[in-house]
Amino acid sequence: MSRLIANAASALAPTCDYTTGCITCGDVAVPMSVTRLDDERGLALCSDDEGNSETVEIDLVAPVAPGDTLLVHAGTAIARLTEEASA
Amino acid sequence: MKYVDEFRDPALGEVLAGEILGLVEPGRHYKFMEVCGGHTHSIYKYGIDDLLPANVELVHGPGCPVCVIPMGRVDDGISLAHQPDVIFTCFGDMLRVPGSDGTLLDAKAEGADIRMVYSPLDALRIAKANPDRPVIFFAIGFETTAPSTALTLKRAKAEGVKNFFCMCNHVTIVPPLRALLDSPDLRLDGFIGPGHVSTVVGVRPFEFIPREYKKPISVAGFEPLDVLHAIHMILTQIKEGRCEVENQYARVVPYDGNPRALEVMSEVFELRPHFEWRGMGFISQSGLKLSEAYADMDAEIQYSVPGIRVADPKACQCGEVLKGVIKPWECKVFGSGCTPERPIGTCMVSSEGACAAYYNYGRFAREREVV
Repeated sequence: MSRLIANAASALAPTCDYTTGCITCGDVAVPMSVTRLDDERGLALCSDDEGNSETVEIDLVAPVAPGDTLLVHAGTAIARLTEEASA
Repeated sequence: MKYVDEFRDPALGEVLAGEILGLVEPGRHYKFMEVCGGHTHSIYKYGIDDLLPANVELVHGPGCPVCVIPMGRVDDGISLAHQPDVIFTCFGDMLRVPGSDGTLLDAKAEGADIRMVYSPLDALRIAKANPDRPVIFFAIGFETTAPSTALTLKRAKAEGVKNFFCMCNHVTIVPPLRALLDSPDLRLDGFIGPGHVSTVVGVRPFEFIPREYKKPISVAGFEPLDVLHAIHMILTQIKEGRCEVENQYARVVPYDGNPRALEVMSEVFELRPHFEWRGMGFISQSGLKLSEAYADMDAEIQYSVPGIRVADPKACQCGEVLKGVIKPWECKVFGSGCTPERPIGTCMVSSEGACAAYYNYGRFAREREVV
């Protein structure tokens, strides 16, 4: 019975969608733009082009400023993207 | 989207594909491994393999951290999740990975408090909101994800959070690559190197591949033009008789990586003497554990875990798939006993797994016809 419930839970659970990729488990990172800084805690509120926002660790790319584009993986900015670099 | 659209231009893709056609020698077979699960996903999502000449074969490497987790570690995680009062947190893909007696989702259905998080920071947030309960984060991933875990553990320590623990399953990319290159049953002509791992570790750690094994490698981004460009670069090296590390993803990857990330990792983690990889056995110095300074946050020290090695299911050939020895559709249970809805092996569970990529993008039917 418990296995039956588990299977039902499995069908309904909010797991990653394997058709679009899993940002946390794969070597995947998304460009996000800094919208607000929390200097005291070393965090930044960032948003992507689709309007999703996320609190991001910025320790690895500090200092950053609002408007900067960061490459974010699992809630942590791992690189900063620049216009020259993207050219 | 900025930094994305310009790398998805179909016209440029066709130009690159045409040039690739001109670089290959007819009658010679080229076998390249994309190390990273993210590349596997891009290749099938964008149909990159359809743009390649028939004699250029792409094989999939061990670059999906979920796919390489052995069953015994899943059992250990489930055992921690069943400890009294524990809130167990992990990334979404891990929930569906089968242990020897069910998945973390099964354990959740049986009453364990297991929550999916998108980042270690989310797990810390849960710990701060539940100060009376221990919160364990199941950390998994290569060097791309390890700094994120390290920073969160540092933050927890600095903020005096006493109820946050970590079961560390982080792995490193170089030891399994060396194990693959030492494997006699795998013959490769080059590597598409992992882009975001390299953002952290840099390009330098891959220098041993051309130096010691005489294989070219191009560290690549994840957009379709990135992957095509990397293949173009490797073929050009072969044609010109060169063999070196090249950085296709230079817009993001510095040659020496991110020194701050490496510094944080070395403070929080230390290498395990050996770590078990699914289908590949134990590989020396390929896994990370928490350093002594963080032992009080190490769930494996603070709680007892069974730590029993569990053999992979007999029908499952994830090991051969992970080493690129067989294609996913050549596995006995692919698409029949093992599907994304009911996976037997980890390669079918994870979104980045080679089997899931083949299954979801219709490679099952097409490859069968070719055979």
